[in-house]
Amino acid sequence: MKKIAVYLIPLALFLGLIIFLYQGLFSNPREHQSSLLDQPMPEFVLPDLMDIEKTYNQDVFLGEVTLLNVWGVWCITCAIELPYLKQLQGEGKHIVGLYFDQDMDPDFGIKTVARVQQEVTDKLSQLGNPYAFNIFDVKRDLSLDLGVTGAPETYLIDQQGKIRLHHIGDINARVWNKKFAPVYQELTAQ
Amino acid sequence: MNPRRQKRLMAVSAIVLIVGGAIGLMLYALTQNIDLFYTPSEIIQGKDGKIPQVGQRLRIGGMVVPGTVKRDQQTLAVSFDLVDTGPTVTVSYQGILPDLFREGQGIVATGVLTKNNHIKAHEVLAKHDEEYMPPELAEKMKGIKHVKPDQASYGKPGAGE
Amino acid sequence: MLAELGNFALVLALMMGILLSIYPMWGAYKNHTKMMAMAKPLAIGMFVFTAFAYGCLTHGFISDDFSLTYVANTSNSTLPLYYKITAVWGGHEGSFLLWVLIFSMWTVAVALFSKAIPIKMVARVLSILGMVGIGFYLFMLLTSNPFDRLLPFFPIDGKDLNPLLQDFGMIIHPPMLYMGYVGFSVAFAFALAALISGQLDSTWARWSRPWTIAAWSFLTAGVALGSWWAYYELGWGGWWFWDPVENASFMPWLIGTALIHSLAVTEKRKVFKSWTVLLAISAFSLSLLGTFLVRSGVLVSVHSFASDPSRGLFILGLLVVIIGGSLGLYAYRAPQLKATGRYQLFSREVLLIGNNVFLTAATLVVLLGTLLPLVHKELGMGSISIGAPFFNQMFTYLIMPFVLFMGIGPLTRWKSQSPQALYKQLLLAFALSISAGILVNASFEQSSYMAAFGLVMSFWIIVATIMEIQQRIQPQLVSGKLTILQSLQKLTPSHWGMVFGHLGFAVTLIGIALVSAYNVERNLRMTIGDSVSLQGYEFVFKDVSNYTGPNYTADVGHVDVYQNSKKVAQLSAEKRFYPVQRNVMTEAGIDSGLTRDLFVALGEQLKNGDWSVRIYVKPFINWIWLGAFIMAFGGVLSISDRRYRMTKMAKKPQVDKTPSPVLKEQIS
Repeated sequence: MKKIAVYLIPLALFLGLIIFLYQGLFSNPREHQSSLLDQPMPEFVLPDLMDIEKTYNQDVFLGEVTLLNVWGVWCITCAIELPYLKQLQGEGKHIVGLYFDQDMDPDFGIKTVARVQQEVTDKLSQLGNPYAFNIFDVKRDLSLDLGVTGAPETYLIDQQGKIRLHHIGDINARVWNKKFAPVYQELTAQ
Repeated sequence: MNPRRQKRLMAVSAIVLIVGGAIGLMLYALTQNIDLFYTPSEIIQGKDGKIPQVGQRLRIGGMVVPGTVKRDQQTLAVSFDLVDTGPTVTVSYQGILPDLFREGQGIVATGVLTKNNHIKAHEVLAKHDEEYMPPELAEKMKGIKHVKPDQASYGKPGAGE
Repeated sequence: MLAELGNFALVLALMMGILLSIYPMWGAYKNHTKMMAMAKPLAIGMFVFTAFAYGCLTHGFISDDFSLTYVANTSNSTLPLYYKITAVWGGHEGSFLLWVLIFSMWTVAVALFSKAIPIKMVARVLSILGMVGIGFYLFMLLTSNPFDRLLPFFPIDGKDLNPLLQDFGMIIHPPMLYMGYVGFSVAFAFALAALISGQLDSTWARWSRPWTIAAWSFLTAGVALGSWWAYYELGWGGWWFWDPVENASFMPWLIGTALIHSLAVTEKRKVFKSWTVLLAISAFSLSLLGTFLVRSGVLVSVHSFASDPSRGLFILGLLVVIIGGSLGLYAYRAPQLKATGRYQLFSREVLLIGNNVFLTAATLVVLLGTLLPLVHKELGMGSISIGAPFFNQMFTYLIMPFVLFMGIGPLTRWKSQSPQALYKQLLLAFALSISAGILVNASFEQSSYMAAFGLVMSFWIIVATIMEIQQRIQPQLVSGKLTILQSLQKLTPSHWGMVFGHLGFAVTLIGIALVSAYNVERNLRMTIGDSVSLQGYEFVFKDVSNYTGPNYTADVGHVDVYQNSKKVAQLSAEKRFYPVQRNVMTEAGIDSGLTRDLFVALGEQLKNGDWSVRIYVKPFINWIWLGAFIMAFGGVLSISDRRYRMTKMAKKPQVDKTPSPVLKEQIS
């Protein structure tokens, strides 16, 4: 029996390793919930993407359950996601876009607002427009406050203007049914 | 003790000594080469109550503060500030920056702390992916300004010193 | 439509895998010949359906079918055709399909070329491969199906292939590497089949040897190609970074090297049986572990595929079942493995096992260095990284005794060697290698101790290898029966395999020693017209031009290199911009040669129009890869040895239901 113990060593070492690999798998930073969860929307004053004169602030989210979708025309995953968002909108969901354009960044060459608007119009007429309106995050301040790490990302905001969910990556039927639908139904049922 | 047992004892102790020595050597080499990861605010304010010491080797990850990248006009010396959510730390580096290095971009640098808020780096990495930055960074500071999305790629470290 | 067929073909392949894992095994248990005979057609079926699925995916790429998620993510209509074909393995899903395709190729090869092996053994081996296959196919179909559609809405164009992968090295590197990784599954299956059958003599070692050597040769070539690719494509001149993904391919190589040696001992001398079984399990386990590390996102590295926890979880489950199960079986059966051969302290057996110990130690060092950051973080001690110096230092320590043993090993006899008989020979070899090493090293200006040391070690291997050949042909020469050439021809291919394997290692070692010690690097700020002298070469920064490639635009820096006022090279270093991925790529300009590489890469353009430029002179760097290919060639020679031609042996009547006869040839 002493002998078997010796030959069990590799198995034991392997199982020990597995424990760490398992933990490592779930300490994936992308799975961490945003610290903004259940917090009110950060304060902001930002223009409408299509009408720069018009501005919005955090109160715009009051009274209605909203999906705030961070996107841009340069983001291909966003384009993949748009048709599904369109479908959600067709089912009566209120979707607001949070738009920012990296090309407004001096490092990438200056792009005029008109040019950005043109690109957005083109893209949306091609793939469908799910957005009630788009907030133009000119200097990416709101994205910064929201803890956006990439595009697309989506926030579910309740009637009181509190963030209830944060999803990194695209929304598809699976993500919606698994992650969003339960919370959304609970909120709308109130 | 009979000679045979004595011989066996010698052999066993020799093996134990060699294995022990090897493990010791390895652990020593290991401790010399471990770089702890800090964010700028952790360097200034401490991490778990411990402030890194001047002269310590470490890795720092943060966002390059726009407007702080200063190039020497004659050489390849460059310095820039890094920030996460609090105070900034200055990094100086001699050499070629990676392709994806940009202001407003999350980067990771490896180097030595020369002052409480200054690091002399010997390696600068700009590594990112469409959906995440260096995970150490993403984990520590959700809330950084967005890096360029849609680059399902990464940089390689700039060369050594 | 083809994509749906491809998907269906994968499901069929899975079915084949399931049947393959059940029938032959059951047949072997019940001694039912017909059931065992089903193994071959099932293996062929698995391969054919997988190949068909692979063809379907390739068609999707060539025809720009962006309704396939995978194609939309990794290809683009502007991508040149040859990259469209190679983009099939440019992302996670497709590369896994390639992995599975290669796996089914190995399976079918075992089914076809094992006529000399008892049908029961083949049935068990194929069954085990079938079980492993079930895991792979399920993983692909459930978590990473390359045939997923983006219907009804799909993008008009794809995201493009990562520019780093638009390159020749990348075309051949992954298939080679996968051939190696997956090839170890055959050695694994043989070891497990032996454990299951309880037929624990060393015949399984002989049968699995050619397969293991084949897999090892592919892996050697794959690792070398990966290193070569990193050298010229990443644009900063390093050839090994101790990056987690590189480590993931290096660990199976180290263990695989130990395994091919240990298999030789087990086959010939019937000792170290349980150790060899453990190595066979470990080699494949480390391949799987590498897959897990790369594809789960647990470790972040330059090469890793975008991570997805559900995938990681699946592979982890696979690891637990395959590795855990096999190690469990090992613990249960290994105590019955008894060495039948006897040997003394100073003998070839002990020297070989000694080298096994060093190779295993090296593997553990790499494993520790790769996984410690993960463990450290999970223990709540903060994120860390482990610097390359750790690995370099540990490998410097390990290589000294390793090389010493490597030189002596082939010169010694099995069973027992009298030290006195070898004493003079070794002293001579030692003197020769030291003088040769120092002499060569002295030809470099500012000679370095480390380089001298590396050279002495390399010459030690070379001298000892030549002595071994001389020792082998000596009897024939002395008796005057044969000329030198004739007696050299009499040496078996597998003996030459060992010779080339060892010489290749020496060549690689020379490359590593010289490039590490005499590599000269300059990072400079240069204006057009500037020139700089390095190692007797004059680099003139001539101009920078622009051009537009098929799917990118580029700045090209032209650098002329003069030696003694004579132009020796014209280098063009590119900075490419790929608009689809908005990605910048550095393409180094390299003038390659046997004794040195001249390497120029553009850094960023500076504010006043200057460019930052890297200029390297890298002596003997190509020897690193050359040596690896010599090693792989040695492996190929070994396999070509007649005694592994099992189909031919099968035709002879006396073969083979009983354990093999003891083979007289001496190779390692």
